[in-house]
Amino acid sequence: MTGLRLDEATLEIGGRRLFEGLCLRCDFGACVSPRAPSGAGKTTLLRALAGLTPLEKGTLTLDGEAPASMGMPRWRRRVVYLAQRPTFLLGSVRENLARPFGYATAEGAFPLGRAEALLERLGLHQGVLDQEARTLSVGEGQRVALVRALLLEPCALLLDEPTSALDPGAIEGLEGLLRERLEAGVALVWVTHDPDPIARLGAKVLELPS
Amino acid sequence: MNEGVIPLSVFDLALAASLVLVAGLTSLALRLGLGRRLLVASLRTIVQLVGVGYLLRWVFAIEHVFALFAVLLVMIAAASKAAVDRSSRRFEGALFGAFGTLVLVGLITTFSVTSVVIGVQPWHRAQYVIPLLGMVLGNGLTGISLALDSLLGSFDEGRERVEMELSLGASRWEAARDPLAEAVRRGMIPILNAMSVVGIVSLPGMMTGQILAGADPLDAVRYQIVVMFMLAAATSVGCVGVTLYAFRRLFDDEHRLRGERIVRTPS
Repeated sequence: MTGLRLDEATLEIGGRRLFEGLCLRCDFGACVSPRAPSGAGKTTLLRALAGLTPLEKGTLTLDGEAPASMGMPRWRRRVVYLAQRPTFLLGSVRENLARPFGYATAEGAFPLGRAEALLERLGLHQGVLDQEARTLSVGEGQRVALVRALLLEPCALLLDEPTSALDPGAIEGLEGLLRERLEAGVALVWVTHDPDPIARLGAKVLELPS
Repeated sequence: MNEGVIPLSVFDLALAASLVLVAGLTSLALRLGLGRRLLVASLRTIVQLVGVGYLLRWVFAIEHVFALFAVLLVMIAAASKAAVDRSSRRFEGALFGAFGTLVLVGLITTFSVTSVVIGVQPWHRAQYVIPLLGMVLGNGLTGISLALDSLLGSFDEGRERVEMELSLGASRWEAARDPLAEAVRRGMIPILNAMSVVGIVSLPGMMTGQILAGADPLDAVRYQIVVMFMLAAATSVGCVGVTLYAFRRLFDDEHRLRGERIVRTPS
């Protein structure tokens, strides 16, 4: 029963039914990659796992615990969703990375040293911390957004095409980081069109009905 | 004010109508095609104002609490409709929210000014209550519509930003705090501008009216100061009220932003 579980889920968006009786099981330390044609609802599935889109039917649990019992903000802090398009608030990269540590659900202070180490692993120079976050390129933004998510030390990570704007070198860095997270016991749900990185991580592909 | 106003005869009005004729001839000469609209607008001015004149005379004459409140509620309903219609987006319950906010804010500020500050006897004298509420509503609806417009824009166009914060563990309140503050700020700008330039750039209509009616300018100024402060209070509380209401309607108890509840209105 450990890991992230979605059982017998029915999902609708704008009155259109996307899935019925859908199950997704991702153990801690495992990687699942939902696959379906574009527009079939992969993003909606990730949003449902993060509690951003309501389930018509079905149950959602992390380690046997439902979002309602821990409160949705705490759920989302443990099951972090990384949207395809990186989004930042006005302010520097440093301020953006520190922002979630100001929420009521935060545990501990903003770990600056860890942030610097992660940015470097992803090929971003130290100066980026003082850069205005909205001036980042899409590729830089994707990496900074991943760092922002990893700093929360989530139990599960939901990735929506995190490599779409990355060059091979950056993808390699990202893969290495995620491999470590997997070994540390994070459950990884990774939506991507690129079959190579997920194959190297030993991901289980989940074919979605379309 | 006992000198009173010089009454205008029907002939005087006809004379003034010739002023509109100037506008009409301009339109004709420059082929602006505004003649018809100008005529309709002029007729509306006459009909609406004469209508409200008779209505006010009737309400003033009978001095009845029920009649007064009937008029107040119609005014508030019209103002809330206008406030919601001016916004480029809306949501289910927006009209109710604007109405509720304006009822609370409008009645509380108006009656606290008439009863406590001015000390009108009896408290429900329509001659004071109706014009003051009218000013509160006029300013309140501008503030409310600007605040709603800003907030709904942040939740609709800025949806990704709000959901980014939610997905990092923010509560709905934490994720919406900046847009809420920005909306209230936007709603307050017109009244703040009006307060900064009053007397320098513009003479407010009420003050002008009192001076025309023969009041001592310093007396008129005192009224105007009270009114400006009343409008500032009403607008700020109104903006806060309506944005909090919208916040409650657009986020559910699972801290989800229900963007599908926002509808763009074709303009």
